[in-house]
Parts: sequence; structure tokens; C-alpha cells
Amino acid sequence: MCRMFQCYTEVNCDACRCLTDELFVVEHARTAILQPTREDFQRIPELAINPLGDRIINAFFPEGEDQVNFRGFMRTLAHFRPIEDNEKSKDQNGPEPLNSRSNKLHFAFRLYDLDKDDKISRDELLQVLRMMVGVNISDEQLGSIADRTIQEADQDGDCAISFAEFVKVLEKVDVEQKMSIRFLH
Amino acid sequence: MHLFLKFLCETVHGGRGGYPQFFSLPRCHLPFRRSLQTTTTETKHCLLILVGLLLGGIIFGAEEKSPPVMNSDVFFLYLLPPIVLDAGYFMPTRLFFENFGTIFWYAVVGTLWNAIGIGISLFGICQISAFGLTDITLLQNLLFGSLISAVDPVAVLAVFENIHVNEQLYILVFGESLLNDAITVVLYNLFKSFCQMRTIQVIDIFAGIANFFIVGIGGVLIGILLGFVAAFTTRFTHKIRVIEPLFVFLYSYLSYITAEMFHLSGIMAITACAMTMNKYVEENVSQKSYTTIKYFMKMLSSVSETLIFIFMGVSTVGKNHEWNWAFVSFTLLFCLIWRALGVFVLTQIINVFRTIPLTFKDQFIIAYGGLRGAICFSLVFLLPPSVFPRKKLFITAVIVVIFFTVFIQGITIRPLVEFLDVKRSNKKQPAVSEEIYNRFFDHVKTGIEDVCGHWGHNFWRDKFKKFDNKYLRRLLIRENQPKSSIVSLYKKLEIKHAIEMAESGMISKVPSSVSLSEYHEGKIKPLSPTEMENMREILTKNLYQIRHRTMSYNRHSLAADANEKQAKEILIRRRHSFRESLRKTNSLSRERPAAANTKRFLSLPKNTKLPEKLRVRNKTSSRVGDSSDSEMDATTTVLNLRPRAGKILREQRLRQQRPPSEFSMEWKNEVDGSQNGRGEQQEPGSLPQPSIGFRQPLLTRPRFGTLSREDLTADHGLARPVPPPRLVRQASQGERQRSKPENQPY
Repeated sequence: MCRMFQCYTEVNCDACRCLTDELFVVEHARTAILQPTREDFQRIPELAINPLGDRIINAFFPEGEDQVNFRGFMRTLAHFRPIEDNEKSKDQNGPEPLNSRSNKLHFAFRLYDLDKDDKISRDELLQVLRMMVGVNISDEQLGSIADRTIQEADQDGDCAISFAEFVKVLEKVDVEQKMSIRFLH
Repeated sequence: MHLFLKFLCETVHGGRGGYPQFFSLPRCHLPFRRSLQTTTTETKHCLLILVGLLLGGIIFGAEEKSPPVMNSDVFFLYLLPPIVLDAGYFMPTRLFFENFGTIFWYAVVGTLWNAIGIGISLFGICQISAFGLTDITLLQNLLFGSLISAVDPVAVLAVFENIHVNEQLYILVFGESLLNDAITVVLYNLFKSFCQMRTIQVIDIFAGIANFFIVGIGGVLIGILLGFVAAFTTRFTHKIRVIEPLFVFLYSYLSYITAEMFHLSGIMAITACAMTMNKYVEENVSQKSYTTIKYFMKMLSSVSETLIFIFMGVSTVGKNHEWNWAFVSFTLLFCLIWRALGVFVLTQIINVFRTIPLTFKDQFIIAYGGLRGAICFSLVFLLPPSVFPRKKLFITAVIVVIFFTVFIQGITIRPLVEFLDVKRSNKKQPAVSEEIYNRFFDHVKTGIEDVCGHWGHNFWRDKFKKFDNKYLRRLLIRENQPKSSIVSLYKKLEIKHAIEMAESGMISKVPSSVSLSEYHEGKIKPLSPTEMENMREILTKNLYQIRHRTMSYNRHSLAADANEKQAKEILIRRRHSFRESLRKTNSLSRERPAAANTKRFLSLPKNTKLPEKLRVRNKTSSRVGDSSDSEMDATTTVLNLRPRAGKILREQRLRQQRPPSEFSMEWKNEVDGSQNGRGEQQEPGSLPQPSIGFRQPLLTRPRFGTLSREDLTADHGLARPVPPPRLVRQASQGERQRSKPENQPY
């Protein structure tokens, strides 16, 4: 819990202030209830043209709910805090911080895995691929790309990607850098 | 004559040596860069100079005298302003001001460092009597140093795109190129007046420094003033649309000339005018005028730059050269050394204050990319020969430096950087999936950055924004409410129809759930390398690009339409899939709790006026993704989306006070239309039921259209009029064309 608080305070007062620039917080400040809903997220125009916009918005909302409070919001954002070196040597016995590599990868994994069965099936992969790719790729080509992706990752032969396999495929990718945002300017 | 041959051999050799190396480098290890350009700005410049040389040679050969040389009036009055105007107009202002400290630091201090460094070291060389240069005084050297330090790094921006997506770096280079032109001109005039004075006292030096500031700030003030006047003028031009572009160009040129008249910095004036005008003019002028302005500006600046380079080539040929090995070679050497030193030292200092430091590769690019261009060339021709007896020597040196930087440095910078890149990157061929994952992460990161408003806060910017909203926008921007709700209603129908047509073209590409479930176990076969290569290529071409906040600046072309097309596709697909999912869930349960309020915004990315926009949309409805007005470029979309959104929110609040009977909600009823399988139609005067706890984000402007789930429940009591037959037919056709709905989670 103290990790969460750490993340919270760091990720920060400044982020709160910069969030006041965002529409939904302004909107809600008037009603003094800081509980944005999905529509408020969708009002961010840049997210509307992000291919994964819906999934990202979905990631903010806890299971089954339609509103997110500030704490939940910060919790999601805390995944993107850059990993600092001095944290690596801190106590290994405590709970893993939200912005560890493993948790970042878990966050990404959850964006793929909609039915939350801890596997990325071919269908789910195809859906994400289709979202990321234009209209010029035919279904067969996309299907073969998805097949190839699964083939490269799959080790236990179940034709789906589990979290462990996901981690293994990405071991050479610099996830810490790709999934980190410097919140303070 | 032998001089000409010497130059020709050098350039051709340099060129020939450069080209094969450039073209033969493998590019397969750079899969996902922003643009795979085959022609580059650097090669363009080289070719232009070669053409000029050819022309000059022909003229010289035909007439046996020096060809006409560009004189100072032509350059400073006609050729330079379009280039600076273009750079200033397309400058992303927000990024510019956020990094203003760094830009200023590099431009001012860097230029001073270069100028004085080169001047003093050249003076040291001149003192060595063996070279025969002892008659060149310190002041003359300083003047020479100031004019040769005018760097034109815009040419390297193209290189940045391909290797490094770093917005801070981009704006640094861009801003530096703008500012240091102004500073060079000011320094040049300063030293020139010093040279012409008999004695120089300390007070003169201080006067010079003060003059420097006055010239710069005065120019900026004039530019801002005239920018406001221009914005104010465009407020009243809605009756005379055709001459709107004229005002933009006239006022910018006016600011340049006015500043020059008062001996202030014309370059700063025109830049400030363009940056000020940009925001307000965009909103006041019509769509077509806006397109015209942008294209015309690009055309002018392209033409100017081309002419300048050709002139350079032509002027090289002739009798006004004096060759001195020592001077020329040392000039070249010192230019390189001082530029590298300057960038390195300045970066070390500035990195202390920045949160995102500049890496070694960035520094190398900035230093090596310091190409000299037209400004030094014309400034050296301006030198009064009475005060500068060795003018020809200066001209020769400048021409050598320019040729060297443009040809050698310009052509080799890209391979060098790739070489640097390759050394550090993984040699192994990336797997197909890795590319997908990389792009996936980038999209996620961009999305989260957008959510949390990554750009941070700034006290002054907020103050300016408040001031801007309160006073300036009211004064300078024309309000354009539609006159009657029936007119706006009709326009909304048109636009919906347009969207339908666009969508039906795209629906067939969405995979049906049938194909998704067509999966047989154990059919994955190992792929050959060529197939993998094919796959990778397909992915490279088709994966959506990450949205970039700043578009790459290119003097010769406008920002690509690819982003617009991509944005349209994404939006249309989302809308379609949302509607499909609604239809599905609708068949399950018609009663939804009010809290389940999911709205989609169809942000048709355009910002300005209603009538023209819609007519435009109408005409282009049949062509998805490209239109004659495709200046709907991502520059406008991306950079202005946030203030746009804020404005919309403001308008929403305004509208909340008005009686809701004016509202007509366009997309709402099409969702209801799914209940009876018929088309979408409008109901004028239908209200959102406020009793459901409905918030009022809907807009009458078709800039945004919303789908509201709640409206399903709200519609029980409302009778829908029969839609016009045309729409019904179209809509039902659209229904039939749709493939089976995709299985979406929402």
C-alpha cells in the first residue's frame, strides 16, 4: 500500500494540475464529483483517433464499473511511471510496485485479453490486429500474420499466448522505456 | 576558366562519390520510420546547384562575361520573405514556446559563439604572414565570421524523421533555424557599420548590444501588431471570400517591409506576424481560403528556395573569385570545429536544465547538420567593396563552404547516422510479432499520454490562454451561428448521408465473425524466409502510424494526408462497430440503466465554418480518404484538437442555458433506427430527456456527432416522422450491405 501511496504522490500533484486541463475534470469540477465515465474519456479527441482507444479507455475502468475515481485513475497511470534505479535495490520482500516490468507487461496483456482467461486466443489477437491495421489487408493475410505471431510465441502448443509466453517473447524489447511516461516536466 | 573547371570537378566528384554510397545502403533494419523517403531535400539542393552551375557555364561560355548575379534587393525583398513566412506559419507554436528557452539559447548564444570564434581564429590565421592575408583586419574577420555562421538546419529535419522521433529535437532545430537567421542579419549589420567607422569606442560596443535587442524586440512587436490587425480584418471578410488569402500575404509582407523601413529585424517581424495570425485567421476564413493560403505559401517558398540555389550555381561561374588555399581551407575547418564545439558545450549546459537530455546522437546530428545556405551567400555579395578590398576572397571562401556543406555533409549525413544507429541496434532480424508488439506499445503509450495531458502546465501559458479567451478571441474571431435550425438540420442530414456512403465503402473490409471463427487446429505451418519478409513488408505498410503531435516540416510539401485517412478509417470503424454492438445488445434488452452511458464522438476532424464545411464534405463523400480539400491535414487536427475541444465544451455550457428545443440530435435516432431495422432519420425538435440525468454534450455543429445509448430509453414516447424516401432507401441499402456484425466487447 505504501507503494501505491508513493506512486500516488509522485505521479502526482503536477499530474492533477495538468489534468485540470483535460475536459472531463473541468466538467466534473463544476459538479464537484470527480468521477468521470467512459464518455468523458471518449471526449478526448486524440483518443478517438487512436486505434486502440477503446481498449485503453477500458483499462481505466475496473471490472464492470462505469465510473472511475481518482484513485483508480492514478492506479492505472502508476503503471507508466519510469523505473528508477534506486528502486531496484529496495526491499525485495515488499509487494511489487505497479511500475515494475512485470506489471507493465501485465497491463499490456490485459489490453489484449478481453475475456480475462489469461490467454490471448487467436480471435483476440485478430481483433487487436484488425484495429491496428488499415483496411488494405485481407482477412486471409491478417489471419496468417496472426498465426505466425502465435507460432512465434507459443511454447506449450495450445495455440494461444499465455502471460508467461508473452513475457518471454518480449524479453528483448525495452518495455521499461516504451511503457514509461515522464509525468513531470 | 581554370577556377570553373576546378569547382566543377570538385563538385561532380563529390557528388558522384556521394550518390552510390547513398543509394546502396540497406534499409531493411529501419522498418517503422515515419516516412520512407526516396528523394531527400539534400539531394534536391545538390541538383539545383548543379543545374545552376550548368546554366552559369552556358552563359559564361556564350557571352564571355560573368552572368547576372542576384543582387541584394532581389534577395532580401523578394526571395527571403516567403521562406521565412512559410517557416513561421507552420511553426507549432505551443511546442515552440514551451522550448523557447532552449531555442533561444541555441540560436543566440550559439550564433554568437560561432561568429566570434570563427572570426577570431581566422584573424589569428591571417596574422601569419606566410599566407599573404595580413591586410584583413579583425573587424573584417569578425564580419566574415558572423555571416558564415548563418546555419540552415531545416534541411536536416528530413533526416530526423527517418531515424529519431524526438519532438523536442525537432522543434529545437526548427526554432534555431528561424531565430539565427535574424540574429545573423543583425550581427552582420552591426559589424558592417563598425567596419565603416573610423574609431570604435567602448560606448559603441554597448550601443551595438543595445541595438541588437532593440532590433529584435522591435521587429517582434511590429509583427505581433500587424498580426492582430490581419486577424481583425479577416473577421469581416465573410462576404468577400475570394480575396481572403490576399490579406494574409499582404499583411505579412507589410510587416516585413515596415520593420525593414525602421531598420528593425524584418525576419523577426514576419515570423511573429505569421505565428500570431495563424490561430485566428484559421477560424475566420473559409475552408477553401485556408487551403489556398497554405498551398500558395508552400509554392512561394519552394520557388524562392529553388531560385536561390540556382542563382548560387550561376554566380559561382565567373571572374569574381580569388583563391587562397590557406584562407579557404581554414575557413572550412573552423566552421566545422566551432559548430561541433558550440553544440557540444551548449548542450552540456542546457542539459542541466532539461528533464529530457539530448543524447550524443542528437548532438551529432545538430552539429553535422549545420548546412550553410542562401543567407551567407547573399550577405557576402552585399559587402561594400570599398571597405573590403579582399571581397573576392570572401566570396570564394563562402562558396566553398556552402558547396562542401550542401554536397558532402548533406549527402553523407543520412548514411552516417544510419551507421551510428546500426551499431547499437540488434543485428538479429526481428520477428514478425515483435513489430506488432512495438507498434502496440507505442499506441498505448500515446493514448495514455493523451489521457493525462502529457504536456504539463505552465503559469504563463495559462495566463495567456485566459487573456486570449476573454479578450482576443472575442475581438478577432467571428461567431458563426447558423441562422436557422432548419438549415442546420438539413446540413446535418447531408453530412450523415455522406458518412453513410463513406462507411458502406469500408464495411466490406471489416472481418465477419464467420471468418474469425474459421480456425482449424494445428494448421500452422512454418514459413519460409521470403514469406516472413512479405509479412513484414505488409505490416510495415499497413500498420497505423502513431499519432505525432508535431508534423514534420518540409519546405516543399504539406503534411501528408496519410494521417487524415487513418483517422477517418479508425473513426468510421469505431462508429460502425459501436452501432453493431448496440444493435446486438439492443435485441437483448432495451432497458439500460442510465449509468451505462456510452457515447461515441464522431469527430469529423474539421474546425471551421459550417456551410462550407458541409458542402465540402458532401462533395467528397464518395471518395473515402482523399479529397480536393485534403488540407484537412493532421497539422490542424492534431495541433488544434485540444483548444478545439475546449471551445466545444464552452459552447456546450453556453447551450445548456438556451432552451433545449433548438437542439436536434442527429445520431441519436439512428440508433433507434436499428430497432426497426430501418434507416436513420432525424427528428427535429426531439429533446434529450433531462430527467434521466442526461448530460448535455451534444452539439449542433456537425463537427461532433454523438451516439447515445441512453437515448434508446428516452425514445419510447416519441413518434418518429417518416423519413424522406431517399434516405430510407439508402439506409436500407446500407443495412443490406453490411456483413455480419463483428463481435465486439462493448
